[in-house]
Amino acid sequence: MRRAIESDVCIIGSGISAAMVADRLARTTSAKIVVVEAGDETIPLPQRAAMRERFLRYGENPWGRDHLEGYEVDGPLQSRSMQVGGLAMHWGGVTPRFSPEDFKHQSMFGVGTDWPISYDELDPYYQEAEELMGVAGEQGPPELDPRGKPFPMPALPLTYNLELLKTWASTAGVAMWSQPSAKNSVAYRGRAQCCRNDTCSPICPVGAKYSPDFTWSELRRTNKVRLVPRTLVRKLVLDPTGKTLSHAVAVDRDHADQPVEFHAKLFVVAAGYTWSSHLLLLSAQNGAPNGVANASGLVGKYLTGHRNVQGFVELPLRLYPGMNEQHSLVTKQFMRLKPGSTFIRHDLRVWESSMGRTPRLADDSGALMLGDAILEDWRARTKTGTARVRAYYDVIPDRASELTLDATRKNQWGDPLPKLAFHDAPESVALRAQTEDSIRALFANMAKAGDGKLLRTSVDNFQDHPSGGCRMGSDPSASIVDSWGRAHDHENLFVVGAPTSVSGSCANATLTFCAVSLRAAHEIEKGLPRRV
Amino acid sequence: MLSRRSFLTSLAAALPLTVLVRRAHAAAVTHLESDPTTLDALAAAVLPSELGRAGIARVAREFRDWGAKYRENAELVHGYGTSRLRSTGPTPLTRWTAQLDELEAQAQSAHQRRFRDLTVAQRADLVRAAVQGQRLDRMPSVADANHVAVALLAHFYDSSAATDLCYNAQIGNRTCRPLSASSRKPLPTIKLRER
Repeated sequence: MRRAIESDVCIIGSGISAAMVADRLARTTSAKIVVVEAGDETIPLPQRAAMRERFLRYGENPWGRDHLEGYEVDGPLQSRSMQVGGLAMHWGGVTPRFSPEDFKHQSMFGVGTDWPISYDELDPYYQEAEELMGVAGEQGPPELDPRGKPFPMPALPLTYNLELLKTWASTAGVAMWSQPSAKNSVAYRGRAQCCRNDTCSPICPVGAKYSPDFTWSELRRTNKVRLVPRTLVRKLVLDPTGKTLSHAVAVDRDHADQPVEFHAKLFVVAAGYTWSSHLLLLSAQNGAPNGVANASGLVGKYLTGHRNVQGFVELPLRLYPGMNEQHSLVTKQFMRLKPGSTFIRHDLRVWESSMGRTPRLADDSGALMLGDAILEDWRARTKTGTARVRAYYDVIPDRASELTLDATRKNQWGDPLPKLAFHDAPESVALRAQTEDSIRALFANMAKAGDGKLLRTSVDNFQDHPSGGCRMGSDPSASIVDSWGRAHDHENLFVVGAPTSVSGSCANATLTFCAVSLRAAHEIEKGLPRRV
Repeated sequence: MLSRRSFLTSLAAALPLTVLVRRAHAAAVTHLESDPTTLDALAAAVLPSELGRAGIARVAREFRDWGAKYRENAELVHGYGTSRLRSTGPTPLTRWTAQLDELEAQAQSAHQRRFRDLTVAQRADLVRAAVQGQRLDRMPSVADANHVAVALLAHFYDSSAATDLCYNAQIGNRTCRPLSASSRKPLPTIKLRER
């Protein structure tokens, strides 16, 4: 028997971008909002300390069985996790903004594609996202770190280790400050202050790190949204004109023989960089032979992200690893290039580290140590410290950086799974060696300035913080959605968050996904009854 | 009385594999709980003496607790950048209890005494002989340790207490600590030797 669920707004996905949109619409409109999530309910906060304990002791997944069976995907899927709250249930809570240059690659440097919005236009939505989540941050030098208003919370204090490392960086001519984070430096909106449990990713046991379940709990408690878990949307169906969406067809994982339809005036696809494009492509039908919102043929194209170079620097400093290992220093000094410069941009972060200073079983000769010998050896090797340094650098996305439907792998309902491939655009290919050499040279110079030694460096080939696939733009032939996230092809369809990114910057991107989602919500609410 | 080995052998003939493995784990837990002397004697030989007798006994007790609460085939934390799922492996307890039995056998064979009655140096020599040829280039995770002695070391040295002992500082890593205290140098540990 078919079941139909009616609403004004149907949001597909319950991750952080969906939470931003739902929160905004629930605050400003009286619209009936339904949220559909393929994964299960998440682990409630009171159970997280116990789940964390098992993670620490045994490496177990603290989020239970947060995945769908049979979803082994070809390509670098960021995470297999799927649950209410999405990937931001286990994110690190790191929330830098992009810098103004990120939105103007083409006009400033002649590479890549400009976003259809500027940093200044996005600034109030960044602020709204920071206030909604609760971001603790320190204002960096204004010329490096522009913002319209102060952070909603004081910065997470630098640990004793980071204070020492900040001085070291300064000696090397690098101005660093406390990394903005969605972690409570003070109690915020009913959530606890951070107490340095230091397992922010994968799990915060006290709720000091923002995760979308807090938004969902509040919205559900006040009956402002209806959230339908364990229900996978398989297809978006157009009305006969092909201009608007009629409904979404889903499968209830508990009653697979009873299809569910979601009927709404507006649909918001907020299913992340993989599952948003995937759903649009799966929705091929008469009038949309290549998938919904895909007249341009670009759904799934221009996946983007950034790569990193990481290093470890031995320093003549007595550090105490474990004080707050996931917190770091950051600088935007190398993100703020002058127009026309060679396009080598990166962020820089510095952490305390125990690399090379962990206890070991065998001495330098390879002989087993036992009893007091291990401790003595460990103590001897911890008289000086190690810093971890890492720089994300820009990778301009190529059209061939894409998500496609995999004809060889299907889920249990017969739908092809996505296939992911990442490729650098030619301009990034040409600059890659120079960029990585430049970063390694910076690390070496920093080590020298601190009378230290660069121990080793490595390059992560995986493009981190992946996004794109439904990029925004003004030209319908070159993009999927406009700057507000509205599909060029369908007036009642919005795509929000990660998939709408034009480029991945060289900094953690989640806050930007939230800001563009909130900007979309401001547009969506115009067509809905105002809350009085 | 049925020996542990005889008990496991009789189980193998009668039960499906999953049930067998579960019962073997339970039998190993019971074995360690009911006769902790070899493990305690091993702990005294491989852990730092600074812990004191009571501290060493505590670490051994926590290690047994770790083993007792181990779950096979539990989903491990997801990898980043991959859709591949991973799970915990078979219980390490059965091989660890067998290795403890082997240490006892070696003690009898070489010294005609119980393992616990050997000197620390004699016990250490038996451990060295037992792990000879194994990879020792890094401290493994507890579950991946090939020998019970290495597992015990891995368990202790992964703890917050071990880090504090090494640095002689109240770092308290991975524990809930005041945020405001993070900016100051960690205070020295208070030397309260457990007895």
